[in-house]
Amino acid sequence: MTGDERKDLVQKFAALFSLVVLIVAFSLTSDAFFSLGNAMTVSLQTTSIAFLGIGVTVVILTGGIDLSVGSVLALSGTVAGLLVKAGWPVYAGMGVGVLVGTLCGIINGLVVTRLKLAPFIATLGMMMIARGVALQLTGAAPVSQLGEAFGELGNGAFFRMLEKGANGLPHMIFPGIPYPVVLMVLMAIVVAFILRRLSIGRHVYAVGSNEEASRLAGVNVNGTKMFAYATSGFLAGVTGIILMSRLVTAQPNEGVMYELDAIAAAVIGGTSLMGGVGTISGTMIGAFVIGILRNGLNMNGVSSFIQQIIIGCVIIGTVYVDHLRNRR
Amino acid sequence: MNALSPVVEMNNIVKRFGGIHAVEDVSLNLYPGEVVGVLGHNGAGKSCLMKILSGAMAYDSGEIKIQGNAVEMSSPIDARHCGIETIYQTLALADHLNAPANLFLGRELKTRFGMLDDRKMEEETRKALRSLNPNFRNITEAVMNMSGGQRQVIAIARAIYFNARIVIMDEPTAALGPSETAMVAELIEKLREKGIGIFLISHDMDDVCELCDRIVVMKNGRKVGEHKVEDVNKDDILSLIIKGELPDNWAPRSRMSA
Repeated sequence: MTGDERKDLVQKFAALFSLVVLIVAFSLTSDAFFSLGNAMTVSLQTTSIAFLGIGVTVVILTGGIDLSVGSVLALSGTVAGLLVKAGWPVYAGMGVGVLVGTLCGIINGLVVTRLKLAPFIATLGMMMIARGVALQLTGAAPVSQLGEAFGELGNGAFFRMLEKGANGLPHMIFPGIPYPVVLMVLMAIVVAFILRRLSIGRHVYAVGSNEEASRLAGVNVNGTKMFAYATSGFLAGVTGIILMSRLVTAQPNEGVMYELDAIAAAVIGGTSLMGGVGTISGTMIGAFVIGILRNGLNMNGVSSFIQQIIIGCVIIGTVYVDHLRNRR
Repeated sequence: MNALSPVVEMNNIVKRFGGIHAVEDVSLNLYPGEVVGVLGHNGAGKSCLMKILSGAMAYDSGEIKIQGNAVEMSSPIDARHCGIETIYQTLALADHLNAPANLFLGRELKTRFGMLDDRKMEEETRKALRSLNPNFRNITEAVMNMSGGQRQVIAIARAIYFNARIVIMDEPTAALGPSETAMVAELIEKLREKGIGIFLISHDMDDVCELCDRIVVMKNGRKVGEHKVEDVNKDDILSLIIKGELPDNWAPRSRMSA
């Protein structure tokens, strides 16, 4: 094993270790925390951060940043909702929703590569534009009464087992694995595969590590960046339709500040904001650290204000530890 | 091998940045198996000229012929297709990637399913690096953790692995110690024997006099001198670099001693 792989492993282990510590601590302080039902709930709650985090990780690896994902998910979700409300079939409406998200990502990519604006500026603009369009389209009102089929993607589950209780009401034996959780695992594997095993993934790392060197080596730098922003937009679109499906309502105000959760997940998972360093598995761990913290603190009755403080401290703490290790 | 036809012909190359004439009407040939030293002050235009040839910089006018065929040199990929490889002064390595990833960057080896063939790339890299430096071991380490000499070896290996016909070396020995410098000199000799043409940009007069067949001196974007290395001594070269002309009483040194 080389030094690099060892360092990578140590880093994963450290993050994973903190995850285990969190689980043990919350299990001790709250009776309801350590149960299968809650595990599924946490996983479901983590899906949004994970989807966005995976997309943002790809962008950050190229040395960029994507601040627009929270707004893009709202736009994708509302477009899907409006289309279904207008009588489109659910799958078609949702498909267009994801497409809109991808399109936003492509526009981000074009602004970064063609207009040569800093990614921070480009995606800050898109953040406002996408949110504005979503609000304008809906008149800032939630789009509701979308029908049961619209809620299937967000609320359905594999292997859900019910039995009829003595009182005639259904009683849940096994909560099942929610569709979004399955999709999350699938997406994580696919993107991790792309980054590790395909040349476009190698180029993502190379561009983030040394853009000029990549260009001189014949890497299509602009194409690589386009791929990263489009991936991020696509995943924001997927997050949007899943989130709106869970609520069975298209909310133009959904997803505010989610981009920062996503970036936090990536950073906790060891992704460097300078580019070139990071993994999808790290981001998944980061997403679960945030998800479990939220859930566990809720179960312990900690107010959401205090939660913000704690999560802020965790971000600074983990990144500081990371710095210490890399400086050695 | 036909030593009479040049492998590279650059004719009347012009490059301007606004009003600044970086390269002004420069013509330059390179023959197979020849080492041409390109000299000049910083900002004389030598790096620009070489960047144009390696496709890293667009030129405003002029003509480039590779083995007699006029080519459009609009990207590093074009240059690569013409068999031109460049060792940049900055080495142009992606610091977070390991040696195989850097060596094959932009032309990764793939399995038949289109996936990266990391095992093959590692094997090939090991062979390529060992042939230059037998002590090279930690090739799967990120190159940012390697010594300057090791990084240089990777950059050199990248240039010669893919059967280049023309190699451009921009200050290849700047980051190296004495033994590694000797290794580069040996390598240049080997490449020359294989009939590869080499442009060598260097500030080191000893290197230039020892390794080159011919020298070209640039000043303020113009070519001010082009001589066989045996016709000039170090003072003549310095005079060309600084004043842009040869000493007043100059005559070809090879003829004088004869």
